[in-house]
Amino acid sequence: MPAKTRYLNARVVRNEDERLLTGRARFVDDVDLPGMAHVAFVRSDYAHARITAIDASAARSRPGVFAVYTADDLGEYSQPAPLLVPPPPIEDLIFHPRTHLPLAREKVRYVGEPIAMIVAASRYIAEDAIRDVVVDADPLDPVVDLEAGLAPGAPLVHEDLESNAAAHVVQRKGDYAAARARADIVVTRRLLYDRGAAAAMENRAVVAQWDTQAEELTIWDTTQAPIPIRNGLAAKLGLLQSQVRVVAPFVGGGFGPKIMMFYPEELLVPWAAMRLRRPVKWTEDRQENFYATTQERGQVHDAEMALTRDGRILGVKDVFLFYTGAYDPYGLTIPINTQCTLLGPYDIEHYDSTFTAVFTNKPIVTPVRGAGRQHGVFVSERLLDIAARELGIDRVEIRKRNLLGPDRFPHNHGIMFQDSAPLIYDSGNYLPTLERAAEMIGYEQLVREQAARRAEGRHVGVGVACYVEGTGIGPYEGARVTVEPGGTVRVATGVGTQGQGHYTVFAQIVADVLGVDVRNVLVVTGDTREFQWGTGTFASRGAVVAGSACHAAALAVRAKIAALSAQLLNTQPEDIAVENGRAFVRDAPDRGFALGELALKANPLRGAVRPGTEPGLESTAYFGPDRGSTASGVHAMIVEVDPETAMVKIERYVVVHDCGAMINPMLVEGQIHGGVAHGIGNAFYEQLVYDEQGQLMNASFMDYLLPTATDVPPIETDHRETPSPFNPVGLKGVGEAGCIPTGAVFAQAVEDALRDLNVEILEIPMNPNSLFALIAGAGKP
Amino acid sequence: MILEGTFTFSGPRAVVWDLLQDPAVLAKALPGTERLELVGDDRYEGVMKVSVGPVTAAKFDVTVALKDKVAPERFTMQIDGKGGVGFTRGTASIALTEVDAQSTSMAYSSNVQVGGKIAAVGQRLIESVAKMMMRQALDALEQELRARLAGGAASA
Repeated sequence: MPAKTRYLNARVVRNEDERLLTGRARFVDDVDLPGMAHVAFVRSDYAHARITAIDASAARSRPGVFAVYTADDLGEYSQPAPLLVPPPPIEDLIFHPRTHLPLAREKVRYVGEPIAMIVAASRYIAEDAIRDVVVDADPLDPVVDLEAGLAPGAPLVHEDLESNAAAHVVQRKGDYAAARARADIVVTRRLLYDRGAAAAMENRAVVAQWDTQAEELTIWDTTQAPIPIRNGLAAKLGLLQSQVRVVAPFVGGGFGPKIMMFYPEELLVPWAAMRLRRPVKWTEDRQENFYATTQERGQVHDAEMALTRDGRILGVKDVFLFYTGAYDPYGLTIPINTQCTLLGPYDIEHYDSTFTAVFTNKPIVTPVRGAGRQHGVFVSERLLDIAARELGIDRVEIRKRNLLGPDRFPHNHGIMFQDSAPLIYDSGNYLPTLERAAEMIGYEQLVREQAARRAEGRHVGVGVACYVEGTGIGPYEGARVTVEPGGTVRVATGVGTQGQGHYTVFAQIVADVLGVDVRNVLVVTGDTREFQWGTGTFASRGAVVAGSACHAAALAVRAKIAALSAQLLNTQPEDIAVENGRAFVRDAPDRGFALGELALKANPLRGAVRPGTEPGLESTAYFGPDRGSTASGVHAMIVEVDPETAMVKIERYVVVHDCGAMINPMLVEGQIHGGVAHGIGNAFYEQLVYDEQGQLMNASFMDYLLPTATDVPPIETDHRETPSPFNPVGLKGVGEAGCIPTGAVFAQAVEDALRDLNVEILEIPMNPNSLFALIAGAGKP
Repeated sequence: MILEGTFTFSGPRAVVWDLLQDPAVLAKALPGTERLELVGDDRYEGVMKVSVGPVTAAKFDVTVALKDKVAPERFTMQIDGKGGVGFTRGTASIALTEVDAQSTSMAYSSNVQVGGKIAAVGQRLIESVAKMMMRQALDALEQELRARLAGGAASA
C-alpha cells in the first residue's frame, strides 16, 4: 500500500476548472463540422390524437431543406426503443413495457412527441420548414390524471392494453395486519408529492458524422451513458461496435434525464448523417427541453403508520399511484426507489407496499436526481411528524426511538431494490448524525424559544428529517491507468461526466496509489474510443463504482512498477517504495527511477517481453459491486413564515451527511449544495402544470420558477464517515443526497412555524399560493 | 379558456345581424385577420396572425363553420385554427336581442382550447390577449355599424 495518503479526504481544487472557466471545455454544441446540416423536429401539439395524414411536400421543396422524414420514411428503422431497465424479479409483478418510436406513427401520445424530422442547411431554415409540414390529426380524449386514468371507460393511451395500468407491484414483509391490530395508534393520510423538470443548464444535443472512407460513425452526445448508446446504435444501424464512437464531452448537467434513453433525436441524427453522408447536428432548445426531455412527476400515496404509545413504529402500509407518462422505457426504477426508500433509516418490521404505475398522455417519466426517493421519504417523515404530534412526543425523539442501531448492519430489509438485488444496507450509524444535525440547528433551544417568538407575532419553525440513499449500484465500471513515458499518468473510464468533478476525484484516487501529483493525472471520461466497457453515470454511482475501478487499475499498475523496479534494481517488489513520482528502494532512496523513465524501460526496443508480463506500465481493471452502498443523512431547517403573504424565508439549512469515506470533502459539499438548491426548488418553486387537455402550461423559465441564488440560503454541512464494506475505498454515493429529504423537512418546518394555525402540509410542492389557501382554510371544518 | 360577455350595438338587430355575417367586415374587425372568405354554406376560411407574449405574429389557418343559425337571433361558430406554434379549437355562441329599435344587445360566450407551443409559453397572457382582441373587434364593429347607418362607407 502507499506509504501515506495525500489526496484522499483532501480539498483538492478541481482539475477541470481551468478548462471550464477559460471557455476551452468542449460541449456538444461547440462541435462545428464542414458541410454540417441542422435539424428541427415537428412535434405533436396534441396530448392524444390519431394521425390521419402527414403532408411534408411543401417542406421538402423549401430551398435549403435536404430531407424531411416521417415514420413512413424510416422503414425498418421505425422500431420501438429498447426497454432500458427490466423490472426486478418480484413475485406476481405485472409490467407492460411500451416504449417510444423514433417518430410517432398513427397516434401521438403526448404534447411534444416528434412526428417529423427536418434536415436543412441551417437551423433557421429547418425551423421555418416546420410550418410547411401539415399534420392532420383527430384529437382524442387525453388521460391526464392518475385516478381518472384508471377509472373504467377511461380513454386508453395504449389501445392494445385493457387499461392504463402500466405496472402493479406488491412488496411485503412481516404481517402488517397483525401489527396494526396491536398498535396503540394508526396514522392515516393521503400524501401528494410532485416533482418537475431536471432543468440542466445545458439542454440535450447530438452531432453525428459518418466517415465514408474509414466507414466510422462518430457521435457527440450529451448522454450520461455513452457506452450503452454506442452499443445500441451500432446494433440498430447494422454496424460493428468498433465502427461507432460515442463521445460525451463536457456536459452541462445531467441529473438523470440524459441517461441512455435512446431518445428519438439520439436515434435519428446518426441515422440521417449516414443516409445523407454529411454531418448532422441537433441542439435542443429550452422549450423543447420541457416536453422532449424526460421529467419526473407526482405520486399519490394512501399511507398509514401503526405505532405503539411510546412512538415505536410497528409497521407501515402504503398504496400509491405513479405517473409513468406516455411510455415506460425506464421500467420501474422510480416507484421501486420510492417503495424501498420509504423505510429510511428506521427499524420497520412490518411493511405492506403496493403501487400501480399509470400511462398518461404526458411526457415520459424517468429518474431525476433522487429518482422517487423523495416521495418515499416524504411519506414516512410526514407520518412520523403527525404521529409525534398525536402522541405528544418530540419530533427528534420519535426518530431516535426508531433508528436502526449501529449493531444492525448489514441490514436486510427483506424486499427487492431497483438493482434487482435485495435491499440490504451495508453499513451506517444513524443516531450520531441525527444528534449532530439537531445540535447544529439549535433544535432544543429553538423549540424552547418558540412560544416567546410566537408571542412577538413571529412564525418561526424548525424541521429535522432523516433519509437514506441507495447509491453505487452495479453492474460494473472499468478503468485503464497508464504511466506515459513523460511521467504523466492517464486514466480512462467509460462513465460520462456532467460537472461532478470526475477529473479530480478519479485523479485523487490514482495519485494516492501511484504516489504522484494529482495535477499530473489526466482523466478522460465518456469517450468509447478511450474506454469501451461500462454503463454510465446514474444512481450516485460514478465515484463509487468507476472510482473503485480506477483504484483497482492503479493498484495493478503499482504492482507492475514494483515488479519491474525490483527486477532492474535486484531487489524484491515489497522493498520498492512508490512516492513523489519515483519508484525506489525503500532503504536506499537514491536507487530508483522516475516513473516516466520506468515506463520507457517497460516498453523495450530490444530484448524480449517475458511470458506472463506485459509491455508498458498500464493496467485495466473492473469493479462490480454485488449491490449498492447505502448513504444516509439528516437535514434540518429553520424557516420564518409570513402568514399574511404565505412567503417562506429559509433562515438556516443544515445537512449532516454520511457518504462513507470521502474522496474530496469540497466536492461532497458541492454536491450537497446543488442538491439542496434542487430540493428547495422542488419544495417551494417548481411544478410542471398541465391543463385538463394535457397541455403543459409553463414551458419556459418565465413561468417555471427555479430558485435563484437569493432563494437558497448558505448551507451548513458536517460529515460522518461510516465506510462501506462493499468497495475497497469505503465509498458511498452523494449525488442525490442534497435533494432527497428537502420537501419533507420543508413541510415539517413550515407546519411547525404555523402550529398555532393548525396547518397540516400533505403536499409538495407547497408554493405560496397553495400555502396561502391552506392558511386561509385552517381551522375551518 | 372561457370568454363571456355582452356588448350593446347602437343599431337595429337586422343590421347588426347582416354585419356579423359579412366576412369582409369581420376580416376588418378581427385584429390580425389577413384573409377571411366564405367558402361554402356558412363556412369561412382564412388566415390570422396573433401575438401572445413571446410568440409574435403566429400564423393560424382558420376555419369557421356556422351552426344552429336562427336569423336574426343567434348562431354558433365552430372554430378550428392550426399553425406552426399550436392550435386552437372550440365554439363561440352569439345571441342578439333587441333592446329597442336603435340598439341591440349581443351576448357572446366562447369556450376555446389552445394547445401546443403557444399554450406552453403564452399561457399567462392568452386570456388577456383574447379579451383585448375581443374588445378591439367589438369597437371596430360598432364603428362599422355607425358608418353603415350613416350611409357612409360600408364594407370595403
